[in-house]
Amino acid sequence: MKLFKVLLLLLVIFAGCNGDSKKSDEPKKIAIVVSTLNNPWFVFLAETAAKKAKELGYESKIFDSQNNTALETDHFENAISSGYDAVLFNPTDATGSVANATKAKNADIPVFCMDREINSPDAATSQILSDNYSGCIEMGKYFVKTLNKKGKYVELLGIVSDNNTWNRSKGFHSIVDNYKELKMVAQQSADFDRNKAMEVMESLLQANPDINAVFCGNDAMAMGAYQALSAANKADKVKVFGFDGAEDAITSIQQGKVTATAMQFPKVIAETAATFADEYFKGKRDFPKKKPVAVELVTKENIENYIGYGKK
Amino acid sequence: MLLKVGKYVVLIIAAGLIAYNSVYIKKLSELRSAEVKPFNAKEYARDYLYKKLPSSAGKAIEINELLAQLETNPLSAFSKYSHSLSEGDSKYFLVSGTGTIAEISDEYIFLKSKTAANVKIATEYIVGNTARDASGLISMDEFGNSMDINTVSEEINKLIKTEIIPPVKAKAKKGDLIAFKGCIELSKSDVKLDNIEIIPVFLTIKN
Repeated sequence: MKLFKVLLLLLVIFAGCNGDSKKSDEPKKIAIVVSTLNNPWFVFLAETAAKKAKELGYESKIFDSQNNTALETDHFENAISSGYDAVLFNPTDATGSVANATKAKNADIPVFCMDREINSPDAATSQILSDNYSGCIEMGKYFVKTLNKKGKYVELLGIVSDNNTWNRSKGFHSIVDNYKELKMVAQQSADFDRNKAMEVMESLLQANPDINAVFCGNDAMAMGAYQALSAANKADKVKVFGFDGAEDAITSIQQGKVTATAMQFPKVIAETAATFADEYFKGKRDFPKKKPVAVELVTKENIENYIGYGKK
Repeated sequence: MLLKVGKYVVLIIAAGLIAYNSVYIKKLSELRSAEVKPFNAKEYARDYLYKKLPSSAGKAIEINELLAQLETNPLSAFSKYSHSLSEGDSKYFLVSGTGTIAEISDEYIFLKSKTAANVKIATEYIVGNTARDASGLISMDEFGNSMDINTVSEEINKLIKTEIIPPVKAKAKKGDLIAFKGCIELSKSDVKLDNIEIIPVFLTIKN
């Protein structure tokens, strides 16, 4: 009996070793965990990351967290137990997602954040982020110029636990608040969501029918706000400002429906994250903790230089 | 019998080891001192503006020399003297110089320029990351998150607006000679040298 147990143990150990050697022959696997696929911008980010990973010779799978940190945790646990070698990560929550990145780090799996930040200097190997604050400074300057330094406006914020929400809002207000005749009459979150933005805008319009502009923390909300304005026959009177550079926002600027957006470069962000993972696999370890990517203002004056999600 | 006693001894030792390793007792004062203090952007901005920046003021390039180099070899000038925390078109330069005041408005002190450039010192709208990034002394990796580094920009700008500018603006008049160190922003892909706006970090009237 004892001899049988020893043999069984040796067999298990041997099988384990064999499995490892098989794994080294397989292409490395990259998990792409994205906050939501309910927004075309994030779909583009995830698909670009997957495409770049494939080009570099890796397998990848996209996981949709549906803006739910608990679901994101499941994805990380799944990625760790399924033997993924790196995570390209678009977090749902700046603080709530730290634990997930830490879990991967403790399992020796590098995490590269894309677009959204986590509040930890070392849980992720590197964080590739849009310079939202600077982008919204430029947006604020254009907003002031377009409104001739006076008028009433409302602001639709993104998810309140996301740093991008506040970096965008703070950049915008660092300019606009210098002009006393520009009055913000309401500020409300619509969670970066188009449908929610439409509902919020409808209710804000009832309380503030005389506004001149709406500043939205992303393009999905800008499109939702425009829909509400259009339904209330106010689309010609209220200027809509977005952020992202999404395809429908670019088309809407061309059509004169949206006044401006700020072009983030999801292709640059996603490809940089995939390239960093590739470099990590090849032995590189000294990555910048944060890598900000510049954002560019897109208006009717320069729209010919841009397409959805990037430059022509 | 002896075997049974031995088993119990081993079990008691094992239970003792587990219990000992499960509980840690530390002084509360030690834990409190180890807690991470929240980031103080005001303190950081003050230290940067009044200590770090003056100690590396030698890095500032004389403005007319910079303008000349930007005319003749912009790529080299950007590469040698500009900084920015983000990968993009906007780049920032730390400059120094002296100039005679040509005019004072609510928003600017205009200087008589030795070149075709219209050089002005901003006094009203001190915004953006120009003053934070121009020296190249601040790194993103110093900060836990991007909110902190952006708050640093706001605090530096506040100090410039409330402490650097007012004493000089209060007594400055047309014709005065003014010495400055400051920061300028230029677009790398569209270098415009006809209208240079300086965010001052050091100002003094030399009359």
